[in-house]
Amino acid sequence: MLGLDGPQAPAGVRRFSHEAMATVYEVHAVHPDARYAAQAAQAAFDLVDRLERELSRFRPNSDISRINHLGAGESTRVSPSTLECLAIARHMFDVTGGAFDVSIGTGLPSLEFDPDDLTVRATTGGVRLDLGGVGKGFAVDGMAGVLDEWGITSALVHGGFSSVLALDPPPGADGWLLTMSDPRGASGVLARRSVSQTAFGASGLLKGGHIVDPRTGAPVSGRVAAWVALARPAAVEPDAGAATAISDALATACMLLDDGEIAGLCARSPGLEAWVLSSADAGDPRPPSVRHFP
Amino acid sequence: MAAENDNQKPPASSEGPRKLDRREVLAGLSTVPALGLFGYAWQKQRSYQKSRADAAATPAAAADVQELNVALLGAGAQGQVLMDAMMRIPGLRFRAVCDVWAEYNLRRVVNSLKKFNHEPNGYEDYREMLDKEKELDAVIIATPDFWHAQHTIDCLEAGKHVYCEKEMSNTLEGARSMVLAARETGKHLQIGHQRRSNPRYLHCYEKLIGEANLLGRIVTVNGQWNRAVAPDLGAPDRYAIPEARLKQYGFKDMHQFRNWRWYKGLGGGPIVDLGSHQIDIYSWFLGANPSGVMASGGLLYYDPSNHEWYDTVMAVFDYDTPKGPVKAFYQTQTTNGSQGYFENFMGDQGTLLISESEVNYAGQLYRDPNAPAWDTWIQKGYVTAPKLQEAKEKEDGAVADVRESVSPDQHTVPVVLRDPYHQPHLQNFFDTVRGKATLNCPPEIGYESAVAVLKVNEAIEAKSRLAFRPEDFHV
Repeated sequence: MLGLDGPQAPAGVRRFSHEAMATVYEVHAVHPDARYAAQAAQAAFDLVDRLERELSRFRPNSDISRINHLGAGESTRVSPSTLECLAIARHMFDVTGGAFDVSIGTGLPSLEFDPDDLTVRATTGGVRLDLGGVGKGFAVDGMAGVLDEWGITSALVHGGFSSVLALDPPPGADGWLLTMSDPRGASGVLARRSVSQTAFGASGLLKGGHIVDPRTGAPVSGRVAAWVALARPAAVEPDAGAATAISDALATACMLLDDGEIAGLCARSPGLEAWVLSSADAGDPRPPSVRHFP
Repeated sequence: MAAENDNQKPPASSEGPRKLDRREVLAGLSTVPALGLFGYAWQKQRSYQKSRADAAATPAAAADVQELNVALLGAGAQGQVLMDAMMRIPGLRFRAVCDVWAEYNLRRVVNSLKKFNHEPNGYEDYREMLDKEKELDAVIIATPDFWHAQHTIDCLEAGKHVYCEKEMSNTLEGARSMVLAARETGKHLQIGHQRRSNPRYLHCYEKLIGEANLLGRIVTVNGQWNRAVAPDLGAPDRYAIPEARLKQYGFKDMHQFRNWRWYKGLGGGPIVDLGSHQIDIYSWFLGANPSGVMASGGLLYYDPSNHEWYDTVMAVFDYDTPKGPVKAFYQTQTTNGSQGYFENFMGDQGTLLISESEVNYAGQLYRDPNAPAWDTWIQKGYVTAPKLQEAKEKEDGAVADVRESVSPDQHTVPVVLRDPYHQPHLQNFFDTVRGKATLNCPPEIGYESAVAVLKVNEAIEAKSRLAFRPEDFHV
């Protein structure tokens, strides 16, 4: 649904791929030394693998699996990254009025986080977390941090093209050209953007899929896909390292929020843009419409 | 009932109280509440989780947990894995971190610990750390193999308990001197073969192979660790170590510093990095050390100008176990990660396929059709009820329904590790330091493992079978 447009490999851009979290992560980086760029990308992929060990609910000994097995009153220690990702997820729950909920209605607010002791405590049993809607963006943010340490500034990083972070553009270009397309493949490219220092998140329904509204437990109807772009705050800002995680979560929320709520979110969040693709009514011959916020 | 096989079951219409056949027993069992049926597994899992919960209790509630002052010596990738696991173990206070890569590893680990209420001092030189940090109880060593012996011995002699990563040393002289130093100082030395503390491996060893003898006579073993091609490790340009310091610590350049595992005299190559963990399990589960090894290997793929050890190794060990002779194959290669890593123990009554991973090969058991039924062990919760592979109903009077071949019943090992892989082994070390446990991998065991593994590289070079004498394994 998100794609890179233009010449497949802009001059001097090197591409590296890695499978993790049931998708493919990529680093598109500009650096004169191929070996150096490959090593930097590998260091970034190593971080993704570590995060998957901690965050995947499919791994019985991940932090998230342990949390998912807590009974009421029990607690467990987790890694700093897990706690940080959970803090972002909890924040996005609050920001979206519960539309983004990594516990899918099983009680995220009942978890207590103690950052001093690196502990997560369950005040009630039965909370089941799935970080699928934020973990990829969180990993992409971390990868950008690794590339920065390696002195690679001109790069684009993504996880499965649904969580994308464009850093500085390739030399001679004014941005990384991204496309947004109908996930059903029907109407081709819906929008294009040339971006740098911007995070993108995408969420959508492939054929037969569905997203459950955690607020009601009912499947979402009327929305086909949503995209969110968030200008990456300067490095000194507290949210600088979380832009992709946040846009990842917001894209999921935009599948559920109504137009007024999305408009309100954009109005109070400078640097935030959203696109929403709605399904046409049955028999409506017009192409599906994309609404752009703000 | 326990030893009854399907092909011996009485006709269903026989007089008197009808005997349930095995299939019905198992079908019935699966409707019993989990607590009754899987009593043992449940208990085992609960006691493991309870010990974790007790350990995780708040410091106030666990006033009897003696706080230990610890230092990390070697803050690279493996050191960070160990630190990550230790962050989940309560009652530890990080006082110091030491790494010669002060610009990167040391800075990152110190900063990350400081975020979480630890106040570690950072050191480039471990001797300075030992001189200044008088309060240390224990040092966790994750430096390159060729430094292990000196680091361990100096820490032990400074009165610290030591957890040292495997391979214990890149030389047997080094490993031997570590065993002797631990004996002389009376300090605890745990070697990092962490599967020895993994609850699933312990269950397989104690219950399945030991008490229940589910595999019968183990005759063959095979195992592997396959890894996909990866670029050599690099380093951010801006954090390169000055050449003088690299030389001071035994590295000719930054590439060798980052990729020491590939160099003779520093590491042992993939057979030692990866194989060591699994060959250690061969000897543990078989209850014997090998009597001989033949091996072939080579540097088939990577650049010989900056890789010295073999990227591909295939080895066959001979074992003379108390139950009889065993052949054990092991391979490691670094050019294709297909099927990952596992150990596979094959006896005349069953097969155990196991790996450290909680995701792949987390413990599968196959019963030979002629073996005694495992119902007792299923009821005790040692193994799960099988995925039944039985055939369609036979018609009355028919001896068999001819069909495609039937696979043996598949069971799984019902013990799950919920913590990071290294945590139970570290916990065992700290429990031992506190006087509440004994080491699961003391230096004598680490030494036996090093003797078996380091011999593989010798056998490749010798191009012939090398024999072990029983006394080779003793210090």
